[in-house]
Amino acid sequence: MPGGGAPCQTQHLTGMARAVLTEVARMLEALAADGTTASIDLRSLPMTDADREQLEASLGRGEVVAELEIAGRSTIHETAYAGAWWICHRGANDRVSSEEIAVCPVPEILASHPADIESAAVRLKEDLLENHSSQAEASNG
Amino acid sequence: MELLEFARGPALTFALTVFIAGVVFRIASLVFMWRTRDSSVGSSREEPAALAAVKEIARRMWPLPTYRHRSLFQLINGYIFHIGLAIIVFLLLPHILFIKDLVGLSWGHLPNNLVYAVSIVTLISLIAALVMRISNPAQRIISTFDDYFSWLVTFLPVLTGLIATMHLGARYETLLALHILSVCLLLIYIPFGKIMHFFLVFVTRSQTGAHLSHRGAQQL
Amino acid sequence: MADKNRKHRPQALKTQQTLGDMLAERGVSRRSFLKFAAYTASILALPPTAASAIASGLAAARRQSVIWLSFQECTGCTESITRASSPSIEDLIFDFISLDYHHTLQNASGHLAEAAREQAMEENRGDYLVVVDGSIPLKNDGYSTIAGISNRQMLEETVAHAKAVIAVGSCATFGGIPGANPNPTGAVAISELTDKPVINLSGCPPIPEAMTGTIAYLLSFAGIPELDHLGRPKAFYGEAIHDRCYRRPFYEKGQFAKSFDDEGARQGWCLYEVGCKGPVTYNACATLKWNGGVSFPIQSGHGCLGCSEPGFWDLGGFYKPLSAAKDDALKYAAGAAVVGAAAGAAASMAVRAKRNKLMKAAQAAVSDSEKEEN
Repeated sequence: MPGGGAPCQTQHLTGMARAVLTEVARMLEALAADGTTASIDLRSLPMTDADREQLEASLGRGEVVAELEIAGRSTIHETAYAGAWWICHRGANDRVSSEEIAVCPVPEILASHPADIESAAVRLKEDLLENHSSQAEASNG
Repeated sequence: MELLEFARGPALTFALTVFIAGVVFRIASLVFMWRTRDSSVGSSREEPAALAAVKEIARRMWPLPTYRHRSLFQLINGYIFHIGLAIIVFLLLPHILFIKDLVGLSWGHLPNNLVYAVSIVTLISLIAALVMRISNPAQRIISTFDDYFSWLVTFLPVLTGLIATMHLGARYETLLALHILSVCLLLIYIPFGKIMHFFLVFVTRSQTGAHLSHRGAQQL
Repeated sequence: MADKNRKHRPQALKTQQTLGDMLAERGVSRRSFLKFAAYTASILALPPTAASAIASGLAAARRQSVIWLSFQECTGCTESITRASSPSIEDLIFDFISLDYHHTLQNASGHLAEAAREQAMEENRGDYLVVVDGSIPLKNDGYSTIAGISNRQMLEETVAHAKAVIAVGSCATFGGIPGANPNPTGAVAISELTDKPVINLSGCPPIPEAMTGTIAYLLSFAGIPELDHLGRPKAFYGEAIHDRCYRRPFYEKGQFAKSFDDEGARQGWCLYEVGCKGPVTYNACATLKWNGGVSFPIQSGHGCLGCSEPGFWDLGGFYKPLSAAKDDALKYAAGAAVVGAAAGAAASMAVRAKRNKLMKAAQAAVSDSEKEEN
């Protein structure tokens, strides 16, 4: 858990890491079979700091790391198991606000949203027009 | 929460007040009664009254062989729930804290889980005592309301205490309130019934011992 | 990025924009909804897959008008929900709501402030949320007034056309410290004064995530989360502290700290003996914790006060164990003993008197018969 418990509790391995890994394995199988996506909310689990480190070490790192700046820092990395992504959202003072393992081809939050794409298309068109007219002014002036 | 506040607050205050008033009343009403003066000369074998009193208390903890075998089960069962109750009341930390808050005394405690095991044994033992009373025709005939009600007000605190620690059936604060209220019921009833034996047994045995010693009766 | 310290907007602009469009105008992408939704789903104990639904619900929602009424309170609840530092995910909630009236945070004062409140009520008739902190005095309307009108009156007129009411903090939910013994102002909880649906977010103060999470739920799902028998969202108040406390194994083993900073306390043992009310307190402190998950009272070595429960100020004292009597239970002990002794003596005297009378009568009968014989 973020912040941990008493010193006597945080270094204690409870076996939660293995339990989570087993669940991830099951979800990956389902994803491979018929594309079902799933998620595990790490914050809701009674994991000690030692458990969390063990889980992170077991899952390892894959090829992709993404850093997001949305209302604070967020990081996403693909684990050594393709399809299992570790998502860590941070809020004020870089404190972890939520953490999950998402089992999917690519986490939803990475994709650009259709509404954002629409407004970006409009904006780029407008920016191009602006550039064109200011270039025209510059060459005339 | 309101029930718990009531139980820990006015209910306990009332119960303890009635308990103290009642117990003092019973003892005072005995103390102020007249005593038939025995002006006879004591036997040559008479021991000092105090010594005879203590000896008699100890002597009656365990019956003579003649009577023992007939009531052995009841005897042992009785010891089980008496000792069990003593362990529960005096060696569980929350109870010690209750007493410490009242009178300032405290002492060491046992692990909670151990006391829970003792509680289950005590419950079974109490139920066995009731079953014996009901199934024995002679005992059943002479049993009064006091016998059954005293059993009930002793059984309920042990039962409700266990249910509370097991968080069984309702929210914890409700279960705890019911446990405390059952103890209030016990405290209020004690002065009125046979549970007064917790004090009176020492009085009666002392008196019998001193009297018998005066007469020269001897333990075999 | 959204500016939390933005000035109170003129109420003439009631926005019909969705939240999605609103943030997009400020250059904030839809991703922020997903991040906020992941966070909200987590604190509401919803499955992570609910995040999508929350995100799209929020993006399509209109900015929610919120009127915050403060009565007999200490402003601790406001302190809890706000942040002083840089904008963050927790601050997004302030973009999703239009805080149209709030004593501490609003710009306007005096007549203008009250006018803003009335205008918000009118423009959002039937659709605004009322958040209340502080209790309301019933003994005398004059004990707490705002802009010349009593708290009770302000509550009645403001909730009349509200969609729902959120009572924030133990004062608004259960009466709190003004309602503590002897309750000189006759303080009562908000739920006793209105028939509108009231969500109780108790705690002194409530955990900020409980407040933001509940508002986010209301916005995303346009409904009220599941409540317990005291009207508190089960997502935050469904578990007792005791049942989630990391020190619970010590309780079961019987290892208790006897006083603050003794050997047991340093070992992190259970705080039952120094007055922890964890077994009878329902809140999310042991899981969500405070200050963004840093710690909570028990972890810091102090027993739970029970601050999210009704009447926690009157439980007998923060340092009295739960098994001890709440009051001074032996208050009448001396008097009881005197009465008992006197009654016992009197009873004995009565019996003695009767015995003496009978004996005298018997002796008289004997001497009479002797006289006769003679």
